[in-house]
Amino acid sequence: MTSILDEPLPPLVSALERPRWSCALGGALAAVGALPRTIPVMHAGPGCASNFTWMQNGSGGLATGGYCSGLAMPGSNLQDSEVVFGGHERLGEELANAIKIMDGDLYFVLTGCVPEVIGDDVDAVVAEYANDGKPVVFASTAGFKGNSYFGYEQVLKTLFKSVVEKGAPKQNDLVNVWGVPPTQDVFWRGNLQGVARLLQLLGFRANYFFGSGADLDLIKKSAGARLNIVLSDLYGIEAAELFKELHGVDFISTPLPFGAAATEKFLRTVGAALKVSGEAVEKIIDAEGRRHYEYLEGLLEVFNDMEAQRYAIVIGDANYAFATADFLAEDLGFLPDLIAVTDDLTAEKREILLTKRSARVAGRYGEKSQVVFIADGAHLTEAVDDTWRAESWKKYHPAKRPAIVVGSSLDRGLAAALGAAHLTVAFPVSNRAVLNRGYTGYDGGLTLAEDVISSFIAAR
Amino acid sequence: MSKEIKQIAIYGKGGIGKSTTSSNISAALAKLGYKVMQVGCDPKSDSTNTLRGGTYIPTVLDTLRAKGKVTADEIIFTGAGGVYCVEAGGPAPGVGCAGRGIITAVEQLKQLRVFENLDIDIVLYDVLGDVVCGGFAVPIREGIAKHVFTVTSSDFMAIYAANNLFAGIKKYSSTGGALLGGIIANSINAPYSRAIVDDFAARTQTQIVEYVPRSVTVTQAELQGKTVIEAAPDSAQAQVYLELAEKIAKHTDSKTPNPMSVEELHQWAGSWAEKLLKIETGEVAPKDGI
Repeated sequence: MTSILDEPLPPLVSALERPRWSCALGGALAAVGALPRTIPVMHAGPGCASNFTWMQNGSGGLATGGYCSGLAMPGSNLQDSEVVFGGHERLGEELANAIKIMDGDLYFVLTGCVPEVIGDDVDAVVAEYANDGKPVVFASTAGFKGNSYFGYEQVLKTLFKSVVEKGAPKQNDLVNVWGVPPTQDVFWRGNLQGVARLLQLLGFRANYFFGSGADLDLIKKSAGARLNIVLSDLYGIEAAELFKELHGVDFISTPLPFGAAATEKFLRTVGAALKVSGEAVEKIIDAEGRRHYEYLEGLLEVFNDMEAQRYAIVIGDANYAFATADFLAEDLGFLPDLIAVTDDLTAEKREILLTKRSARVAGRYGEKSQVVFIADGAHLTEAVDDTWRAESWKKYHPAKRPAIVVGSSLDRGLAAALGAAHLTVAFPVSNRAVLNRGYTGYDGGLTLAEDVISSFIAAR
Repeated sequence: MSKEIKQIAIYGKGGIGKSTTSSNISAALAKLGYKVMQVGCDPKSDSTNTLRGGTYIPTVLDTLRAKGKVTADEIIFTGAGGVYCVEAGGPAPGVGCAGRGIITAVEQLKQLRVFENLDIDIVLYDVLGDVVCGGFAVPIREGIAKHVFTVTSSDFMAIYAANNLFAGIKKYSSTGGALLGGIIANSINAPYSRAIVDDFAARTQTQIVEYVPRSVTVTQAELQGKTVIEAAPDSAQAQVYLELAEKIAKHTDSKTPNPMSVEELHQWAGSWAEKLLKIETGEVAPKDGI
């Protein structure tokens, strides 16, 4: 008898090692689990939930707990019988029980690969409950359709289509904020709240959808917001376009503001978009900056003593790679010589990033940082070799090696090989417990400075 | 050492007469003294109806769904002439995955070792229309059935389905899959019908096992919920099925067919359209046209 193992393997043209994301369902589940008073209902085969709990959430700063998240969420757990006869009845049953037992104000169905392959009509099941007045919505998140970022975007789109109420009364002091995918951005809670504090300084309330302090009623009324702010060049942009189409609210896209320099830019850009007077914005920047540098001063002598203008390698997704490199260059005066963006991006999206984010002068000899797109973690060391070892034959090759690798837990080996310090900020972060830590804003910058400097002295 | 069970699969376009042909072959084989099992692999679950007086039997998948596991006596039913009847079953139209259903049902039969336990000589799998996905290819791969017979008329769409099936067989032929025993040419009455299927067999390097004429005897028998073998054992049609059954029972060497590409198939069909038009317009005599 032959088996599939006897068949010749197809050429490994699209193989990818050490990806720094999960599948669409994983990204979506992280987002739904972070929505206030929301119960995720997983319509998928067995194994997905536990995989996300340990592999994905565990790599997201050990964030494995939470009400109805992780291993305690309702799921249809599709078996052979549902595959053959359709899983819609099983989903209906699970949904009915979830509504009965789980204490929530929104029930969010997410589909895995199995029901999407067999063509379960999930819309029909969900519509049955929705027509009955039950707060049930659905996002199609089969893993084969895309990765975590796609799943996050699908959840946003479902929220904007099915949860955000049309024609909500205008609230001139309200702005919506997204673009920070929960768990995929390991510091998402702190980052969102850091931005909310900045908006508060400008005189606005932020509806940031996910995490502590987010409010489902506010989400429902978010069509009344004055502006949508997407804290990303890529993630949540399509959803922002949909929001604009459905609810007529405009959006701006701005990078994650890590530290003082980026925060100043953020305040000026957002202030202008929200028509806050330039004078008022400068006043905020002045006051906040003063406070910020008072703290940072504390490390000044250590900085001098360490000769801390160091070369750095920065590895992260489209949000983190540039936000972190900017912080290192502009706030700490490091030289982020190599910036590796680890998303699996189309040429068009790469172009967006290169156009918007690579103008910085921060590499060796006053050159720009080198930006590489490497979705395959196995090829990262080659890029490092190209950047550093290619010059080692020269008589006056750079005497300094990169002093720090700021990336993910997957980059530990690279840092060790270079003899460099290692700080994990980008997913997966499995060597740190992360709760409310965040790097946005002035205070976030202090936290990131603490983390960077601490990584140099971790062995003391 | 246990005897080798002859496992054959019958494929062909939906509505072409697969179940009628399969049931008559099964009944004829039983009449010839073989121990036969017919396994319907179609969610419609009506393959064995004429072996069971026009009635439906509980399917493997329905039983599995209701009870969580199945035993042989819950899914195997004895039909006319002692033919063992099994229906794989499947989902309602438009839901679930019928292909996965076939896989599950066939796995169950294997696990229960029903062929060995019942000392079956010949198993006939009557498989739904086209090989639309991997599930419907299960009887012809993984060494389950060894021989495939396809039922086709001279209609282009039926031949198209047969050609698709040949492509499926060819795909699995190098990995121990079933090979093609030949074509059962069904509803062959007009001379050109025979010529068309003969030409198709020649082009795809296979053979015609039997020409089965369209006959009112079949309709009469089916309306009584019976096979021709049971309802009209002495009819000419019954004789045709008996001869076909005899050939299948003795058949040993199946081959890899040589399917036409879609383009070749269309060109081939086009050339036949021209010939048929010339016969119709009297430009050529029927016997010269073919």
